[in-house]
Amino acid sequence: MTLLKLNKLIVRFGGLTAVEDVDCVVRERQIFSIIGPNGAGKTTVFNAITGIYEPSGGTIEFRGQPLRRRLSWQVLVLCVVVGLITGFGAALVSVDVNALWRAAIKRNYARPGEPFSYAAAGHDAWNYMQGTLALDRMRGNRWAVRTPDGRRTLGYAKSHDEAEQMRSRFEKLIDAAGSTTAPVERDGKWVVRDRDDTENLASFEAEADARAVLDKYATLARDPAARRRSALVALLLGIVVGSAGTWAVWSRARRTPEVISRAGIARTFQNIRLFQNMTVLENVLTGMDRGLRGGVIRMALQLPGIRQQERAARERARRLLGFVGLAGKERMLAKNLPYGDQRRLEIARALATEPQLILLDEPAAGMNPAESIELNRLIGQIRDQGLSVLLIEHHMKVVMGISDRIAVLDYGAKIAEGTPEEVRKNPKVIAAYLGSEEVS
Amino acid sequence: MSPASRKRPPVELLYLAVLLAYPLLVYPEDALFRLTEISIGMQLTYIFIYAILALGLNVVVGFTGLLHLGIAAFFGIGAYITGILTVPAYPFQLGFLAALALSTAGAALLGVLLGAPTLRLRGDYLAIVTLGFGEVTRFTLRNLEEITAGTRGLNPVPAPSLPVAMTVPLHWLGIEPDWSLDYRLFYYLALGLLLLVVVLLRNLEHSRLGRAWVAIREDELAATCMGINAARVKLSAFALGCGLAGMAGCLYATTLTSTAGPDAFDFNRSIIMLCCIILGGLGSVRGTLLGVFLLIGFDNVVAPILDGLIQGADINPSGNPLLTFSNWKLMIFGLALILMMRFRPEGLIPSVQIEAEMTKDLPGPRGIRAEAR
Repeated sequence: MTLLKLNKLIVRFGGLTAVEDVDCVVRERQIFSIIGPNGAGKTTVFNAITGIYEPSGGTIEFRGQPLRRRLSWQVLVLCVVVGLITGFGAALVSVDVNALWRAAIKRNYARPGEPFSYAAAGHDAWNYMQGTLALDRMRGNRWAVRTPDGRRTLGYAKSHDEAEQMRSRFEKLIDAAGSTTAPVERDGKWVVRDRDDTENLASFEAEADARAVLDKYATLARDPAARRRSALVALLLGIVVGSAGTWAVWSRARRTPEVISRAGIARTFQNIRLFQNMTVLENVLTGMDRGLRGGVIRMALQLPGIRQQERAARERARRLLGFVGLAGKERMLAKNLPYGDQRRLEIARALATEPQLILLDEPAAGMNPAESIELNRLIGQIRDQGLSVLLIEHHMKVVMGISDRIAVLDYGAKIAEGTPEEVRKNPKVIAAYLGSEEVS
Repeated sequence: MSPASRKRPPVELLYLAVLLAYPLLVYPEDALFRLTEISIGMQLTYIFIYAILALGLNVVVGFTGLLHLGIAAFFGIGAYITGILTVPAYPFQLGFLAALALSTAGAALLGVLLGAPTLRLRGDYLAIVTLGFGEVTRFTLRNLEEITAGTRGLNPVPAPSLPVAMTVPLHWLGIEPDWSLDYRLFYYLALGLLLLVVVLLRNLEHSRLGRAWVAIREDELAATCMGINAARVKLSAFALGCGLAGMAGCLYATTLTSTAGPDAFDFNRSIIMLCCIILGGLGSVRGTLLGVFLLIGFDNVVAPILDGLIQGADINPSGNPLLTFSNWKLMIFGLALILMMRFRPEGLIPSVQIEAEMTKDLPGPRGIRAEAR
């Protein structure tokens, strides 16, 4: 059965094509080798498969599916939540959180020990955003009419009813000042009328006085409207930018190494990339990460379930280390291992992720003949456990000895594919490795 | 922790016993007070608080390898959240435990908000972002005059309330059940929280998450190829580190009975904390604690004692500034750091050694060979 299928894979870096139109099919329980001269693009193919590079063209299918992070409802919820947080933050900045605090909290709690009501604070906060004038109770049942942020006092009243009337008059006045209303002359006085021209709000002896009053309130009129507008714009813009940004970041990171590893493809690296300052055992345990469960709190408290799981994981890690021939070295730091052991540890770490396909990038590099024979056996055993192996290798002994199928890359293109016997005899392959004979 | 490590009582228990006993033996505190005219016990309390802060920073910088230069901002955020939630000038007036939980959670949340968009940055770039955030936070705290009272800070932050059941055992130990009269209540509160944090962090360090943090520090690409979600793991480190900083901030404000001004949470404090964990050994809980005790202890405890001794011995009757030890503090501090970097760049107790030592106690090779056969 087909496990991995590369279909016309292309990887370009800028104008440089590293891999061109490579087709490959790896079946289950198969050892598939990719060989070719240096710079043929073998490691690039690996990097494209494991999600380190995004292919420029073509498809990579694993068990008939493109390996991408699935869209789930959590992602959508995350987008909305981030959008709301951004929008809310932007709106807070735009309404001046300082003044809002003053209007909602400080005005309702002027002296310590006063009763405080969250409902009243919420009401005042809403009024502040609306730009409604605020009523403050003073000592001796006097009331003050103030600007929404409580900074300017417009007038005082002797009772609540009177204060309400005063507020409504001021609001009409501000409304009028904000519109194009001009003072009109009535019975020898200059009168400011409300916006709908139904009642007199104030009257003055001189036209200049009336105009001055209108000018004074015009700034107040512009202020709340502008603030409302900018808060709304900030809120909406924040929501859009926040959720669109989250979506963009998410959708660009759908094909990451992590997703591919979790789908069942593990790999080793040509230039060994172990966790140098961790012990051998911890390296393997890190590979098991996806199989372990438990939240932060349970881990911090080391609840029995977590401990048991950890013990089982250690047990499995030791078995894996025994399998690759590193038994007894689990306490060493990875960086202190000899070279051949480091390669084996990388294989153990990759196996710990419980893959169905394992990608080995030049596992025999730097090994002596005895070690590479040992490695051959190990790769064979991995296949016997039911895994497929995709191998990049230069040691022909290793490649020819164990491969079921071989593909040859040269200058980024596949020049041959077949069983070891077929590839060995292919003239194109011989030409690529040894150079073609000149025709004279 | 492995069962074998329980058998051999670690040397830390001895230190812990000394710290637990110090306030109960009244004599050393009194003698030191006569010498230095400051309460060394109170200074130790601050050291415990800074130790929590440094442990938080160590999670981000030491374990996960993300250079965070703005930890003081989260310390400040914790202090100010506590201030706003508890001072009598505001109507909330929550209890200490609620303030502690909310400060921790609030700082952690802000850490996530800062981290989520920036954790894709590597190395220096992340350092610059966190540095900038630290300064932005300081100026924000200063400019939100209505909320944070500007440069004056919020005060008085009330002391925690003692459960009634505690008064009898406290009386028994000779401790006054009044926070403002007896420093020992804060001392034990801070020490207790520090212990809790150390234990929880040790557990985390040896769990799946701790391994993922270190794996990301060691090689991020290899870690993601092993199926580790790097963004999520880094974010968890950020949240935990910043949350611990917020917790330390809450304790700080409560102990000081004030949030202090925004300038108490400046870049300097971040750098000192970074020095502490570098001196002690990046990525090692033990090293971090040692670093804090050495650096902050030198600053807050050793220097005043030496000042007191010089004063007491009548060496410096004319008040010559060159003969006041405190004036040499920064120079000695700088010199120590230079020497450290020259001779022991990995810190006094580097994590690698700890790992090697720790694994000595794991079931040894014999068990595995038996298994392999």
